[in-house]
Amino acid sequence: MTAAGYPGVSYLRLLLMTLPQIAIAATAFLALTVDLATLRKASLRTRWRVGTLIACAGCAGAILLLFLYPQYGSFGDGMLIANPLTRVVQTALLVLAAFTALLSFDAVFTSHIGEYLAVILFATTGMMFLVASQNFLLIFISLELLSLSLYILAAFNKSSRQSAEGALKYFLFGGMSAAFLLFGISLLYGLTGSINLVEINRAIQGRPLTPMLAVALVMTVTGFGFKVAAVPFHLWAPDAYQGAPTPSGAFIASSSKVASFFVFAQVMLVGLAAGQGSGAWHNSKAGWAPVIVAVAALSMILGNLAAIVQTSVRRLLAYSAVGHAGYMLLGILAQSAWGVRALIYYVITYALAAIGAFGVLAALEAGDNVGVDEIPDLAGLSRRAPVLSFCMLIFFLSLAGIPPLAGFFGKFYLFSAALAGENSGPLWLVVLAIAMSAISLYYYLRVVKQIYVGEPAAAAPPMKISRTVTATLCVIALLVVVLGCAPNLLVGWIGSAMHLP
Amino acid sequence: MYLALFIFFAVLCVAGALNLLLQRHPINSALSLIVVMTSLAVLYLLLGAQFLAAVQVIVYSGAIMVLFTFVIMLLNAGREEHTRGSRAAFLVGFPGAAVLLALLVQIFLSARGHLAQARLGEYVTATHTLSSVLFRDLLLPFEVTSVLILIAILGAVALARKEP
Amino acid sequence: MNLLTFFLLSLLKIVVVLVIFLTAVAYTVLLERKLVGRIQNRWGPSRVGPFGLLQPLADGAKLFLKEDLIPANAHRPLFVLAPLIALACSLISIAVVPFGAPITWHGVDMFQISGVHIGLLVILGVTSVGVYGIALSGWSSNNKYSLLGALRGSAQIISYELALGLSLIGVVLRAGSFDLRTIVESQAAHGLRSWNFFGGYQFVAFFIYLMAAYAETNRSPFDLPEAESELTAGYHTEYSSMKFAMFFMAEYANMIIVACVATLLFFGGWTSPFGSLLPPIGGAVGAALLPVMWFVLKVFCFLCLYIWVRGTLPRFRYDQLMRFGWKFLMPLAIANIVVTSLCLALVA
Repeated sequence: MTAAGYPGVSYLRLLLMTLPQIAIAATAFLALTVDLATLRKASLRTRWRVGTLIACAGCAGAILLLFLYPQYGSFGDGMLIANPLTRVVQTALLVLAAFTALLSFDAVFTSHIGEYLAVILFATTGMMFLVASQNFLLIFISLELLSLSLYILAAFNKSSRQSAEGALKYFLFGGMSAAFLLFGISLLYGLTGSINLVEINRAIQGRPLTPMLAVALVMTVTGFGFKVAAVPFHLWAPDAYQGAPTPSGAFIASSSKVASFFVFAQVMLVGLAAGQGSGAWHNSKAGWAPVIVAVAALSMILGNLAAIVQTSVRRLLAYSAVGHAGYMLLGILAQSAWGVRALIYYVITYALAAIGAFGVLAALEAGDNVGVDEIPDLAGLSRRAPVLSFCMLIFFLSLAGIPPLAGFFGKFYLFSAALAGENSGPLWLVVLAIAMSAISLYYYLRVVKQIYVGEPAAAAPPMKISRTVTATLCVIALLVVVLGCAPNLLVGWIGSAMHLP
Repeated sequence: MYLALFIFFAVLCVAGALNLLLQRHPINSALSLIVVMTSLAVLYLLLGAQFLAAVQVIVYSGAIMVLFTFVIMLLNAGREEHTRGSRAAFLVGFPGAAVLLALLVQIFLSARGHLAQARLGEYVTATHTLSSVLFRDLLLPFEVTSVLILIAILGAVALARKEP
Repeated sequence: MNLLTFFLLSLLKIVVVLVIFLTAVAYTVLLERKLVGRIQNRWGPSRVGPFGLLQPLADGAKLFLKEDLIPANAHRPLFVLAPLIALACSLISIAVVPFGAPITWHGVDMFQISGVHIGLLVILGVTSVGVYGIALSGWSSNNKYSLLGALRGSAQIISYELALGLSLIGVVLRAGSFDLRTIVESQAAHGLRSWNFFGGYQFVAFFIYLMAAYAETNRSPFDLPEAESELTAGYHTEYSSMKFAMFFMAEYANMIIVACVATLLFFGGWTSPFGSLLPPIGGAVGAALLPVMWFVLKVFCFLCLYIWVRGTLPRFRYDQLMRFGWKFLMPLAIANIVVTSLCLALVA
């Protein structure tokens, strides 16, 4: 019996379709081997330099593969889907992974550089599978691959108790959420006899929302809600964001958000859209709409209000991430192609701003600098590190949604998609979202004010920031500005990938 | 007879799981977990999954749980201490879990008709059927799982090793 | 076949096999003492009965009548449970071992208690649960030597279980089954020439299995859990009387099981080494009993090998033991799987 003798499976096709993922996994091995085998005695700086170079080359190679040899189609029982849309998201993930590697440059929290970069790259492999699958089995496995990598990344600073604490909380909550998700999936499988999203959707089409289906939906939403840190499943976020080494925080806040939201939307819109709503909602609404509305509203309110009282920049970013998760759920709630387009645009631009903000914090603690956690510590940063401060300004204003930065258009598209179409979300939710954005402006500006107006502590010397990190931050800031001034670059690309007019 | 076996081991499994939560000493909890794992293996066996049942015993009861007890023994972990927080969690958690359980049971019982039925002890899955599914239809998840395990090892080594 | 006959016959089988097995365990101890004695140029036990043949009975009586001590600070339930687990797990395995040709009487297989399809996996599973006997006895004794012995023992068993399991895969690949009867029948065609050890080219697998099996049963040269010069008696330091006897019996029962598995997997089980060269003798009775004789003979040879090794080789150091298991046996076993499957694929 030869491999070609099995009916229905072409191993060659599977190989070709997974080439980008394989390339990234191979890069991870390469980074690990080179670091462990040849650079044992080298200085930290050299090791970071070589490792980052390998990681970036791998990401660039994978992006090239995605564009030069696109293998569109599907494999297995919805196991692997490759289309222009997944390509957009995968490209974004690869770019964010490369940024993370570049921003970790010169970090001092660990000496296991090869392992650190390998974990980031393996996590990226997992995310690339995650966004390219419409089968619950592969979705779950790659979600676990991603989560496991994130727990490891969060715990990577072994000299810090906070890192261990945050990682443990993240791990325990994550394990819990995985159990919920599995329970939900098994109930869906019991009800429909399939783990393929398309098949599940077909099976629940036209069925009333039985209590059983409702339980399955709630469990699934719970599982994904943990991953995207939506209230009331957000409890891990502040501790993980604060405790994790800053570059890990950047990765958790950016890349994993993109992948989790994409797969969340995929599950809700491809897999469960046909489940009918109860009488209170008109029939075209999916049965899960009330759950998502509740989660979204709670996330917006709690995330933004809690962010106001934070004194730690990282915790502030964590709570604001919860708030942003609330906005992004509007994109899923819209249940339209426009909603998905707006969601992807939003989550990518949000990820850029978040990775940038964490990147600035990482730069402030890299090399010989002492790290910054409390907002007052940032006072007068503009005089000590003007370029960094300006980048921070751009990222925070984009997060707050000030035109003409990318964050503004993200919100604009998202809210208009939520209002448009027959499946429009409730008006009050959009009004709430706009009100909360206004509130968020307050706490973002509080940080910016400290940076630009606050008086620096006496005799604080200018910061020494590595040129690589500065250049990376400038590129990210530039991306945020360009995507804001010409949003059509990205929106048009996503739209054409989805065949939208 | 199959039903009797099922009921016995299902009850044993749930009892083991409850005991796991209620015991104060970690080694007793670990032993209860072994009971749970082994009873699960019997349930697999009743569903005809022989290979899976054997692997469940070898891997979970035999290898993983030994490492659990190993760690407990090495750390010489004592009895669990109760704090005010854990008592509060106990007071709120138990009724909460009970309500949730009652709700789920009610729902499952009411939806009996919609669910597929499993018949106990009716057929046996040959190991080669399992392997052809695993290496043909589910090849991709299988391979991704290998990366998952690899990263678990990598993480464990990286986190457990001393910083120089 | 009605249920009652099945039940009664099975019960009979269990009782008979168990009695024979336990007697075999007792006499393996005597065999070891005699053989090691001869290796060390002394007589071994020779006072009780002719050639010391009644020595096991005397030992049994002694252990039975000894005072049963439980240390004051021991964890009582587990202290009592541990020897039970150890002995039970080593006795259960015999249930799936086929020790004679597949001859049925009233629809019941006469020479195998339970013919499950995954016999090999059952043995592996039961053995892997047996570790708890060692682990718990060491912990519950509340004695540092016991604890160290238990830690050594369980770490060693887990480590070598991997190599052991992997070494068997070559055999399973050749037979295409986990059923012990099928595995034996796959080697039955031409006597000695078709045994997995010779004709199947599984000798590498056999040596891996042999070494892993010594470690699994905590036997010399891997008997670190009970290295008396370092740990007094290891995990069973605090045990006395019948509880100690249970550990003792478990160890020897495990030895016999390991020898049975080696016979079944690598040396053609109950089949004759001469294949069909020898004419069948003794009619139906001969056809039933001759295979049992071959089986017992092969197992006996293995036990002698075991004892010979014990009498000859010095003990490993712990780090050497671990390195040997993980860095030598495991890769070798994986290589064996790869080569075997490649050969099988090419031949097919």
